Amino acid sequence: MSLTLVLFFGSVAILLFGLGWALSKPRKRKNLESDPGRLEQQDLRHTDYLPQIRQALAAADCDFLSKKASRGTQRRVRRERLNVALAYLDALRVDFDNLLRMARAIAVLSPEVVVGHEFERLRLTAEFAFRCQMIRWKLLTGMTPLAQLSGLSDLVSGLSVRLEQAMKELGERAAIAAELASSRNRRGMGTV
Amino acid sequence: MIAGIAQFQEMMWAVNTVAGVALLLLLAVRRNYRVYPAFTFYIFVNVAVAISLFFVYRLWGFSSTVSWRIGWATQGVTVCARAWAVIEICRRFLSRYPGIWALAQRVLLADAGVVLLYSGVAVRHEWNLALPTVDRALELAIAAVIVILFLFARYYGLRPERTDRSLALGLCLYSCFRVLNDTISDRYLHDYATVWNLLGMLAFFASLVLWTWALRRSQREAAEEEDLLPLGVYQSFAPQINRRLQLLNDQANKIFRSEVTRH
Repeated sequence: MSLTLVLFFGSVAILLFGLGWALSKPRKRKNLESDPGRLEQQDLRHTDYLPQIRQALAAADCDFLSKKASRGTQRRVRRERLNVALAYLDALRVDFDNLLRMARAIAVLSPEVVVGHEFERLRLTAEFAFRCQMIRWKLLTGMTPLAQLSGLSDLVSGLSVRLEQAMKELGERAAIAAELASSRNRRGMGTV
Repeated sequence: MIAGIAQFQEMMWAVNTVAGVALLLLLAVRRNYRVYPAFTFYIFVNVAVAISLFFVYRLWGFSSTVSWRIGWATQGVTVCARAWAVIEICRRFLSRYPGIWALAQRVLLADAGVVLLYSGVAVRHEWNLALPTVDRALELAIAAVIVILFLFARYYGLRPERTDRSLALGLCLYSCFRVLNDTISDRYLHDYATVWNLLGMLAFFASLVLWTWALRRSQREAAEEEDLLPLGVYQSFAPQINRRLQLLNDQANKIFRSEVTRH
């Protein structure tokens, strides 16, 4: 088989895969469009449960259980903690996505956008998605201690707090963006 | 076998011409030519080319040099008309959002340029294959532009109109098919010529059916621009979010790296 054949068939395969992905329905999540005021109003985000999650993942609990509980109980607790950790990782991802969705809504409704900002956000999103996925795999394969997740929680928590400050600073303008995103959606021409 | 294929090919030729004329009539009756002038022109060019080639082949025969030259010249016109139709679809997808549209224009142009370059580098350089090579490069660029357009729309959460989506899909799938067909015919040129023409016609017929279905109703003109935000909102908000995302990624990277070192 010639190189040309491989290169062009490969290119078309990649294009068709990209087309299929672009046309597929995005996963349903509670998002900005379904509740435009959510970003400004939500006082309770997943990151706000950090202390409880931290407690659930604390290494001290493991040590305590290893001394006091049977092996079966330890296994069950470990499995439940893993489920909590994975659910929490998903929830963090949702928070992250909501922030991104807000940024995209603003970009879409802006008369001008800066190429550098848009590409930077695309890169950062890809990086975050990749790292989240890596942490998920490591959790599932037992390569990462559950406590490690609290590090990531700190990050998102910090991000949310700072973003909340930024949102307050922007206040009215951000609310206009959310309202416009919502009105586009109601007219059936807006975001998915 | 070859005689049977040739007969089927002639039939498909007639079917495609009739389907093309029917689509043109539909565009006229539903007044969709006002909404899609470039696409209407593309369909018109296709019908005109099919009819003119019929007479060319009758006059000079299918395998003559004159027919070959005229055939490729008309193909050049057709591909240019298709490119114009694709630009029109891109504009309908995104022009309501001037900021994103300006960005998309640059991205799509760069994408087309890179694909054309890639197509030029990835082939054997033989003069007798120059025209199929150029044709394939243009088709691949068209397909890539449409795919990037769909990805762009998905990334920004935009929902293009159903008709625009169907037209773009038909254009993209047909271009993908032509890339494959040109690639195979480039390798097995003489043995494959008859089948190549026939498959091309079948693929085009499938696209015509899709477009006819998509345009069965009158379409409305492109909507006005959205109510836009003041420029300052983006200018102050975008860098702040990006800085925070960068911070988040830097720290996530530290966690990841520390794990790698530990293991």
